[in-house]
Amino acid sequence: MYSERLDKRAFDELRHMEAEVGVVPNADGSARFKIGNTEAIAAVYGPQEVKPKHFERADRGIIICKYDMIPFSVSDRIKPGIDRRDMEISGVITNALSRAVMLEEFPKSMIAINVYITQADAGTRCASLTAASMACADAGLPMRDLVASVAGGKIGDSIVLDLTKDEEDLHEEGATDVPMGFLPSKNEVVLLQLDGKISQEDLKKILAIGKVGADKIYQMEKEALKRRFLDENKS
Amino acid sequence: MSLESYEYIKDIAKKSIRTDGRKPMDRRQITVKNGVIKHSDGSAYVEFGETKVIAGVKVLPGVPFPDRPDEGGLIVSFEASELASKYETDRILYSVEIGRVTDRGIRESNLIDLKKLSLEPGVKALFVYIDIFTVNNDGNLFDAANIAALSALLNARFKIDGSDEEKKLPLNRENLAVSSTFSKIGNTMFFDPNVLEENAADARITIGISNKINSIQKGGIGSLTPEEIDICAGEAFRLKQEIKDLLMSQVKD
Repeated sequence: MYSERLDKRAFDELRHMEAEVGVVPNADGSARFKIGNTEAIAAVYGPQEVKPKHFERADRGIIICKYDMIPFSVSDRIKPGIDRRDMEISGVITNALSRAVMLEEFPKSMIAINVYITQADAGTRCASLTAASMACADAGLPMRDLVASVAGGKIGDSIVLDLTKDEEDLHEEGATDVPMGFLPSKNEVVLLQLDGKISQEDLKKILAIGKVGADKIYQMEKEALKRRFLDENKS
Repeated sequence: MSLESYEYIKDIAKKSIRTDGRKPMDRRQITVKNGVIKHSDGSAYVEFGETKVIAGVKVLPGVPFPDRPDEGGLIVSFEASELASKYETDRILYSVEIGRVTDRGIRESNLIDLKKLSLEPGVKALFVYIDIFTVNNDGNLFDAANIAALSALLNARFKIDGSDEEKKLPLNRENLAVSSTFSKIGNTMFFDPNVLEENAADARITIGISNKINSIQKGGIGSLTPEEIDICAGEAFRLKQEIKDLLMSQVKD
């Protein structure tokens, strides 16, 4: 039984969020997204020439996204650099963003996106995807929609939104973790992973609770982008 | 128009037609042989049509992970070999992804009772290494890797430290998580895609199921709707049984 969450949130409640764009002035677009104690900073450089050359596509541009947890982002120290987990996460984020950004507008080009996780308390790939999506919008890239990303899951008999690390570690309760990424205005899922043990019915419920969370994150993203343009008009 | 062109595959997909004549939810002919590698503790060779993979299991003593002192370990690697294909995507990334998704299905279903692999808490435990190699890639390496790994584990026999006693792995056999992969071409989902279909596809979803859903991995640069995900989950529940029956029928004892 998991009748009350460790941090007392409602089962469908997101952690406190902060979103801002333009945090890396050198980049063509950038963003910071924080949810609870998980924080991601993303920077976009491009469109630019494709490197390495053999990844070039004649019919569309490509995104190369690198996700990296910095050594002091968790309680142990992580070795600097990209490990197998980072590679996989970079891949699923790249896939999700490749649907959102209209890559057909940029044949033979590359958009490089780098994401740092500065602090990790679960949901780091989701925070990365949200931040990277805002950074793409900040760079002025044409997009089908922003991506809003959040994890859902099941702990004991309860369907929960936006798990913390402590919740993910409730193995006795059989925690299931489902990172999701949505194009919120289009009813499209662009990122989906799952590990754990759930029924088909529960998967439907988790996708539904994830969409509710994504809609709230979507509002935060849009407000942060609007603030940026209001600031620019002032100066 | 070339029979292999993406446009052709996308065009016939609208009518739910496939280049090899299968229906959307049909599986290719599948062959599983285990015990094919003498020097491994368990092995399997799997063919789906022209996709061929080989998996080997080695059980070796090691030092337990500090956060799991009373458990052994599971280490899965997958190689989308250069020998087996030209690849349209980043081969290294593809290898890592398939290895990690294969690992997740086995781990989350608790197929291997890792606690029973402990020899001396904090000091010594058995590690199960599963290495999977592609011999020929004609698509759906995710499911081929999964089935090869399961077959190799089910039939593994190993000896420890010079003892002559042959041991089996501590497996919860009812927890076999079988993987089913679907490619979305246009608006139609196709099970067990061949490599032409994979390259023409917009998105992919791999679902691993024991009696519950243990793993999901969405791939590809397109999107899926929640309804499409639900349909694939339902199909995966149905499709897993044939593989379970096949794998269990080959277990000796």
